[in-house]
Amino acid sequence: MRASNLFLTLVATTMLAGVASAQSIKIGLTGPYTGGSASMGVSMRDGAKLAVTEINKAGGVMGRQLVVIERDDEAKNEVGVQIAQELINKEQVVATLGFINTGVALASQRFYQEAEIPVLNNVATGTLITGQFLPPKEKANYIFRMSANDTIQSAMIVEEAIKRRGFKAPAILADSTNYGQLGRTDLEAALAKAGVKAVAVEKFNIGDTDMTSQLLRAKSANADVILTYGIGPELAQIANGMAKLGWKLPMIGSWTLSMATFIDNAGANGDGASMPQTFIQIPNTPKRKSFIEAYQAAYKVDRFPSPVSAAQGYDSVYVLAAAIAQAKSTEGPKIRAALENLQTKVEGVMTTYDNPFSATDHEAVTYNMPVFGVVRNGRVVAAHEEDVIGDKALRLKTK
Amino acid sequence: MQILAQLIASGIAVGMIYGVIAFGYQLTFATSKTLNFGQGEALMLGSLVGWTVVAVTGYLIMLPIVLAFGLLQGAVVERLGVRQAIKTKSEAGWIMATIALGIIFKNLAENIWGRDALKFPSPLPEAPLSFMGVNVLPMEVAIVVGALAMMLAVEVFNRRSIYGKAVVATAVDRDAAGLMGINTSLVITFSYALSSMTAAFAGVLVAPVTLTGASMGGVLGLKAFSVAIIGGLSSGMGVVVGGLILGITETLTGYYISTGYKDVPGLVLLLLVLTLKPAGLFGRATIKKV
Repeated sequence: MRASNLFLTLVATTMLAGVASAQSIKIGLTGPYTGGSASMGVSMRDGAKLAVTEINKAGGVMGRQLVVIERDDEAKNEVGVQIAQELINKEQVVATLGFINTGVALASQRFYQEAEIPVLNNVATGTLITGQFLPPKEKANYIFRMSANDTIQSAMIVEEAIKRRGFKAPAILADSTNYGQLGRTDLEAALAKAGVKAVAVEKFNIGDTDMTSQLLRAKSANADVILTYGIGPELAQIANGMAKLGWKLPMIGSWTLSMATFIDNAGANGDGASMPQTFIQIPNTPKRKSFIEAYQAAYKVDRFPSPVSAAQGYDSVYVLAAAIAQAKSTEGPKIRAALENLQTKVEGVMTTYDNPFSATDHEAVTYNMPVFGVVRNGRVVAAHEEDVIGDKALRLKTK
Repeated sequence: MQILAQLIASGIAVGMIYGVIAFGYQLTFATSKTLNFGQGEALMLGSLVGWTVVAVTGYLIMLPIVLAFGLLQGAVVERLGVRQAIKTKSEAGWIMATIALGIIFKNLAENIWGRDALKFPSPLPEAPLSFMGVNVLPMEVAIVVGALAMMLAVEVFNRRSIYGKAVVATAVDRDAAGLMGINTSLVITFSYALSSMTAAFAGVLVAPVTLTGASMGGVLGLKAFSVAIIGGLSSGMGVVVGGLILGITETLTGYYISTGYKDVPGLVLLLLVLTLKPAGLFGRATIKKV
C-alpha cells in the first residue's frame, strides 16, 4: 500500500515536471495596431513575431516554445493600463515587449514594475520612460529600452542641421501634444548647447490643415531650416504648405518623418526630409539582409511601413530570449538581472548587442548608433552614404 | 503687405472649408430646428467613399456617386435618429441620437478604411498659382468656387422648384405647411438628405487639401459648428461670412500674435456673438412661443 502510494506520487511528480518543461513561455506584445500610430505598432509586432517564429523553429528557449500574447492598446493610456493588468494577472507573461506611444508607456509601466516583470520598450522615445523607477528609490528598475530616446534624437537633429550642414537660423515647428512639446524642449536645449537660438518656435495642433501662419512666421524670421517634432499627417501639411508658398526649406526632424503617413501624404514635397534612424532598409550587413528578405517574404511587402519599428521589435525578442536563456528561469527578477548583465553577444538587425544594459543603464541605443535617413522617391534611404558603408555599417554601443 | 494678402488668401481657403460644412447645419435647422451633430462624420464618410470610388472612376464620375451616397446617408440619420425625437417633441433626444450615430459612423469608417490619414488624389495640378506674389493652390480656388456654386444651387432649388418651396414653407411654419397638404416629415427627411449631400460634396472638395481619414470629421465638424453659431443658423449667407471670419482670424492671429493662440480669437468671437447677438451675426431672432 505504502509502496504503491509512493509510486503514484513519483508518477505524478514526473508528469508535472514533464508538463512544466513542455510549457510555453508567454511574452506580452503591446502597441497600437489600429489608429494614427498603427504603422509603427504593426511593424513592431510583425518584426517581433518574425523573431519568435525563428526562435521557435530553432527549438525555442530552454527547450520551451515562445508564445506571444498580443494586445492592441490603440495608443490610449487607459487601454494600455487595462492591458498591463490583463497580461500580468490573467496571462501571467514573463516579460512584455512594445509601447509605441510615450504616454501609454508611462501610464502602464507602473504595473509591471510592481509585479517585477521586465518591460522592453522597443519603439517609444520619451526620455523619461526608463527613468520612472530608479533605484535607490525602487529596489530595481524593470524598464528597459531599445530605441533612440528623444535626448539622443534632438542632439542628432541639431548636430546634423548646425554642424554637418551648416544651417544658422533654425525654426522649430512642433505639435501641441506631449510628444511634440517635450521634443521641442529637448531641441531648444540641444540648440543652446550648440550656441544657436531658434529664430522661430511655432506650434500646431493635431488635425490642423493649414500651416500658412507658422510657415510665414518662420519665413519672416529668415529661417534657413525647419526642425520638426510631430507626427505624419501634420508633418505632411508642413511640407505641402511650403510647396504652396513656393518657399522650400530643408526639413530635419525626429524619426517620425519616416512614417508612411508623412511620406505618402507629402508626396514629392516630402522629398529631402531627413531624420535619425536606428535602421534603414538597406542590406548592408548579412543579418540585415536576411531580416529584410524574411520580413518581405512573411508579410508580402516591398517597403516596410516603419522599418525602424520592425527592426527594434525583432531585436527586442532576441535580446529577451538571450536573457531568459541566461537566467535559466522565467522569474522576473532573474530575467532582469540577466538583462543587466547579458553574457552572450546577440546579433541583431540594429546592432550586435554586447552587454547592452547594466544595472544603471537601461538604454540599448547610444548617440553614435542611429544614422540620418532621408526621404527619396517615397522611401527612406541613407542621407550620407559614408555613414552606412564599411566598418560604419554596424555601429556598437559605446561604453 | 504681401504677407497680409497671403494670410488673408489662406484664411479664405480655410474659411470656405468651414463654411461649406456649416452650410449643412443650417439646412436641417431651417426645416426642423434640429441639427445633425454628426455633420463632420457625414463629411468624412463622403470623403472616404469618394476616395474609394475615385480610384476606379476618376474625379468627375465620382461626384454624382458621392452625392447620391450623401443623400442616402442623411436620410438614414433622420429616420434613425431624429424622426422619433421630433414626433415626441423631445428637446434633447435628437442631440444624443445624432452624436451617437456620428460615433457609429466613425467606428465603421475606422474598420473599413483604417485610421491613418490618406492622401486624396487632387483633380487639379498641385503646383501653386501666383497672383501678385500671393500663392494659392488651384484646389483652394476650386474649394471656394465649388462651395459657392453648391450653396447657390441649393438656394435656387429652394426658391424656384416646387419641392424647394415645400422646404421653405416647412421652414417658415411647419404646422401651417402641414395644413396646406405638404408632407412635412418627408420634407424634413429630405432636408437631412440634402444636408448630408452637401457635407459629402464638401468632403471630396476639401480632401485633396486637408487629407482624408476616419478622424477628419472631428476637428472640421467642430470648427464648422462654431461658424454656424457665429454666422447664424438661419442664414445661408451667414455661414459663408462666418466661415471667412473664422478662417481669416485664425491665420492672422497665428501670424501676428502666436501660433500657440491660433484658436483662441475664434472662441472669443463665439462667446461674444452668443452674448451680444445669440441668433448669430446674420441670424433673425425668433420668438419662441411656448
